[in-house]
Amino acid sequence: MKSLTALLLGLVLSTSAYAQQNQQPHHEMAYESGCESCHDQGMDRFPSDQACLQCHDVDDLAEQTAREGEDAKQNPHDSMHYGKEAPCQDCHGEHSPKKALCQECHNFNYPKFND
Amino acid sequence: MTDRRSFLKFGAGAAAAGALFPISSQASNGDTKWDQEYDIIIVGSGFAGLAAAVEAKRLNAKSVVVFEKMGVYGGNSTLNAGQSCFAGTELQTKLGITDSAELMVKDQLKAGRGIASESLLRHSAELGPYVYQMTQDCGVKYRDHIITTGGTSATRSHQTIERSGAGFIQPMLKTARELGVETHNRHKFEHLIRNDNGDVLGVQIRRGYHFGHEDSGELINVRCNKGVLIATGGFGFNVNFRMAQDPTLTAEVGCTNAKGATGDGLIEMLAAGATPVHLAHIQSGPWASPDEGGFGYGAGFSLYNFPHSIAIDRNTGQRFMNEIADRKTRADLELQRRDKDGNPQPALLIAPKAEAQKDPSMKKVLKYNVAWEFDSVEAIAAHFKVPLKPLQQQIKDWNGYVANGTDPQFGKRMDAGRGIKLTAPFIVQRLWPKVHYCQGGIQINTKAEVMAAKTGVPIKGLYAAGEVTGGIHGVSRLGGCSTPECLAFGITAARSMMEA
Repeated sequence: MKSLTALLLGLVLSTSAYAQQNQQPHHEMAYESGCESCHDQGMDRFPSDQACLQCHDVDDLAEQTAREGEDAKQNPHDSMHYGKEAPCQDCHGEHSPKKALCQECHNFNYPKFND
Repeated sequence: MTDRRSFLKFGAGAAAAGALFPISSQASNGDTKWDQEYDIIIVGSGFAGLAAAVEAKRLNAKSVVVFEKMGVYGGNSTLNAGQSCFAGTELQTKLGITDSAELMVKDQLKAGRGIASESLLRHSAELGPYVYQMTQDCGVKYRDHIITTGGTSATRSHQTIERSGAGFIQPMLKTARELGVETHNRHKFEHLIRNDNGDVLGVQIRRGYHFGHEDSGELINVRCNKGVLIATGGFGFNVNFRMAQDPTLTAEVGCTNAKGATGDGLIEMLAAGATPVHLAHIQSGPWASPDEGGFGYGAGFSLYNFPHSIAIDRNTGQRFMNEIADRKTRADLELQRRDKDGNPQPALLIAPKAEAQKDPSMKKVLKYNVAWEFDSVEAIAAHFKVPLKPLQQQIKDWNGYVANGTDPQFGKRMDAGRGIKLTAPFIVQRLWPKVHYCQGGIQINTKAEVMAAKTGVPIKGLYAAGEVTGGIHGVSRLGGCSTPECLAFGITAARSMMEA
């Protein structure tokens, strides 16, 4: 049990140190509110998919990334394969760089992509 | 939101308990602390899982749950070209195509090279008309055009208007939920929970799982009243596992699958004593492009164009295969295209733009640098360093075959090309196979019951459907023939569980 606590503590410490080095500037407010404002399931766990939706609305996001005509279904927030259901963390990582899920199979270019 | 938060807190408590009393797959009834209970538990949200979910609700199942380990639903099923072979449909009649379930089974048995399961193929083909109707009831929309896939004696691959499996998955997922099916993503299947007799009582699930982080989330035990359906798909993305079966499938060969296709369900069923069948028969897609990841857009382009196009070797400028032979024949031959140092030298699919432009895939492959347009044979030869004269001769010869209606080089079924000649301008795509489908898996019977290796009888409470099952297609699966089978056996599993 002792070693488990040490391990967990180590995880928390390394995670927070890591977090400080890898912050998205547009999430400054969230950092000011404390790590728990996103890490709703505990510091040693990934935030729930709902955590991001406390501030981001999927319909608004879909509107912001809407594409026209034959590219309409390439909207990462409203795609042909997953509709509006692709969870945020499948494409976005706060503390580690990621790329859009669509790009695993398609040569899509998302110039405004924030990892 | 409040509900979800309190639910999560409950989950954390259950996880702590789980850590103190770890449950093995052999846990007996009395030892297990159950966190949840459903009539029917379905693991995997692809074709088989969702068809089972919809059918179970149609048969008035009280509680049905679908667990999906990934963040997104649909697995591999949502990524493919959205084709499904049905024999004897109204659309075929409208287009003047004569076909039957019997003929479809015959084609599949031929590609199976003597080791396919006639009874499972027949069961699937005969359920075809029900599947075709049920998918339409869910809101699936089919194109008016039917695709000629390799190895078939009649044109029968019906395709969703999206030209993607998403055209099945999205409406079926919506329908399942409307019927009251619970769906949970980030829930990974870990173990079967069985009693001392080996009967399946439920499953252990890792709730809150994030792919690639194997310890994420917490373990919960979920009990079933009627049965567990494992519909977890294949192991195409598990390079170690696939190389253990077929050493030629190194990392050099890509994979069209969703990245969750790692064989978890299969491996757990093997541990529970299920019978493995044909694990070494792993199929690569001969229509894939090395110029994009996964299934991409190139597959749709080549599938449309193979009947009236030629594939040529860059060293010789000549054809090397029947472009609509079955997949194994083509993939094996494509993999042999090498430069003088033995490195991959992908073949070239040369299509006439006049015909290619009739399919929406052409715009996509050109836009995303998966194929390129050339005004002349000379331009192709110069760009890809192909010997010009043999290439010119090959195209001339080919156009002669089109005129005569026979292909003396490789015996291609020339009626599939509808008399279309290969003329400039050309669209050219590179071809390199990618691991696409695992014919092998665990053995089921025509009730979708999982057969025990030791006794040859079904394991009580355990059902499987889709790519995780094996032996149905034998050596080579024909294109568009997995989707109808996944759907048919998902439906069958639901019926069997409701009768159990």
